[in-house]
Amino acid sequence: MKKIALALALGISVFFAACETSDINPNDKNSVSLHFEHLVGTEAFMLNTKTFTNASGEDFTISTFNYFVSNIILKKSDGTELKFADKYFLVKESLAESKVITLTDVPAGDYTSVSFMVGVDSAKSVSDVAQRTGVLDPASYGTDNMYWSWNSGYIFFKMEGKSTKSTNAAKDYKFHIGGFGGMSAKTVNNLRTVTLSMADLAKVRKNIAPEVHLTVDARKVFKTSLKIAESNTIMSPTLGVAVANNYKDMFAVEHVHNDEM
Amino acid sequence: MKKKLGILLVLTLILWGCSKEKTTEPDAPMVLFEVPSTFPNTSYKMESNPITEDGFLLGKKIFFDGKLSRDGTISCAECHNQAYAFTHHGHAQSHGIDGQVGPRNGPALQNLAWQKTFFWDGGVFDLDLFSIAPIENPVEMDEKIGNVLEKLRNDQSYPPIFKKAFGTEEVTTERFLKSLSQFMLTLVSANSKYDQYKTGKANFSNDEKVGLTLFNEKGCGSCHPEPLFTDESFKSNGLPTDFFRNFVDFGRFRITELSDDKYKFKVPSLRNIEYTFPYMHDGRFSSLEDVLDHYADGGMADLENLDPIFKKNTKRGIALTSKEKSQIIAFLKTLTDEEFLKNKRFAP
Ligand code: HEC
Ligand code: HEC
Repeated sequence: MKKIALALALGISVFFAACETSDINPNDKNSVSLHFEHLVGTEAFMLNTKTFTNASGEDFTISTFNYFVSNIILKKSDGTELKFADKYFLVKESLAESKVITLTDVPAGDYTSVSFMVGVDSAKSVSDVAQRTGVLDPASYGTDNMYWSWNSGYIFFKMEGKSTKSTNAAKDYKFHIGGFGGMSAKTVNNLRTVTLSMADLAKVRKNIAPEVHLTVDARKVFKTSLKIAESNTIMSPTLGVAVANNYKDMFAVEHVHNDEM
Repeated sequence: MKKKLGILLVLTLILWGCSKEKTTEPDAPMVLFEVPSTFPNTSYKMESNPITEDGFLLGKKIFFDGKLSRDGTISCAECHNQAYAFTHHGHAQSHGIDGQVGPRNGPALQNLAWQKTFFWDGGVFDLDLFSIAPIENPVEMDEKIGNVLEKLRNDQSYPPIFKKAFGTEEVTTERFLKSLSQFMLTLVSANSKYDQYKTGKANFSNDEKVGLTLFNEKGCGSCHPEPLFTDESFKSNGLPTDFFRNFVDFGRFRITELSDDKYKFKVPSLRNIEYTFPYMHDGRFSSLEDVLDHYADGGMADLENLDPIFKKNTKRGIALTSKEKSQIIAFLKTLTDEEFLKNKRFAP
């Protein structure tokens, strides 16, 4: 009796396993959404009101936390890549809907990793104004500017706030990081690509639109002993290199929801 | 191609014929932009923004409109005055909103279609992207480009002109910037006495002739080559860096952050130079005599990137007698293009 049950169970699971792979119909499509959760260490973000401590023991608040995400690639277990060309996103802590990026028309399959660029690639950075629409439209920023007009290029990452350790009169800090490599001369390139594997896999099916939850740890911006006391204003691309190298490591995939719809 | 042009001509003639009743004297069809026969190809991609009369007129209206500034007082034309080849006459450094002063002297706006970079440090590489800079600069117009577009949308006179120029009333960033470019691209100066001399339509005096020869033989022409009188490069001509008491302008270095670019500035065109005073990126020299004295009289600073051409003699600079200086100046004044400075087409 036991043996039969075991055989049955085995049979069923083999059956299911078989089902599971044959279950992927490459003609099926669904969307994948990337959810960016901003944290400081493990603490939840709170603009302006909450004070955090960085790796050097300095206090800081955050009033602005923005960055561009582009050139997203989803990679399957068999190594094939799905590229989302010409899609640009501006993620802002102050704007809830900007923290969810929805990628549509993703063919069914098991995706093992996600990668993206933090910033606006050089081709787009030198493109005709006709191609600068949506979040790339320089007229779209209002007072929260993400474009350098005097040194043509986008601000890829912007973080501002207050700190008692700042040596300036306003007791604030401002990190504006940009630099796509230059058009008329070779200049600093602060474009960074982040690649994250997804242990849970993102299983796109006709009835599954995976949600990839990423944590973004702003504390990592100060990782390599970047001290507000020493540099409260970073706006030149050269000084920005260290910051870009830090923030490229602030992203992690926390988990993936593969819930049936 | 020629055939098509012929057909077009005939068509225009026919159309003229039709409209004769309304306008007694039809204007000659406006040639808004042409590459002068002596000029090289443009750097600007003309096909990305074909110049039309309506686009030009829209750009001109915008250029003269104070709405572009926060408090409505400062238009582009405020600092770029046609009579002085679109420079800020009477101001060594440009004065903007609330009387604030920026550190740089406004350059002439002319032959922009041949320019690869804009600003004294070349920070902007596309004319279409340029206008955002003065609009958003806190000491110039101190406005946000998004607000400017909103002001134009709410101004009854604008949407119909956008429709004429671009097909619909929509006021977009691209249309706004490209119409400004259309206006600026038409600012072509190529009809000075020098140009007429080159094409055999005018004569040079002896001093002017000698001046032109000296200009090239003494090396001025290596950085300021004919016919545009700039090679678009960034160079240091040894201006002492202590001109402002508490500010040092690093020039091109500000953009590239390469130590080789410290104190280098874009070689400016010398067209209409008689009218674009004061001179240099900070307007430190008020006359051409002062400029020539700077080049010839050993006042150059021994900056780390001072151009080697100025280090050939024991005295830094380019050796010139006072006679030679005045002959070079006589030649430089032949670069004045009266037609350009007075052309009513560029006036509001
Ligand atoms: C407050 C005075 C001021 C106003 C207003 C102003 N400009 Fe300028 N403009 C300048 C100065 C000064 C420079 C040179 C700045 C530099 O090189 O850093 C300049 C440079 C330029 C250049 C680059 C020329 C070159 O050879 O590199 C262009 C093009 C130009 N302005 C167009 C405009 C337009 C279009 C507007 C209106 C949207 C405008 N300006 C408004 C002062 C002004
Ligand atoms: C090595 C390149 C070089 C040479 C050679 C050179 N210039 Fe210049 N010139 C420049 C640069 C660069 C500037 C702008 C400098 C600045 O403003 O910082 C300039 C500025 C000028 C200006 C002022 C233009 C303006 O709009 O403000 C005049 C006039 C001028 N040069 C004339 C001459 C004459 C005449 C000679 C020969 C005696 C000469 N230059 C040789 C590079 C050069």
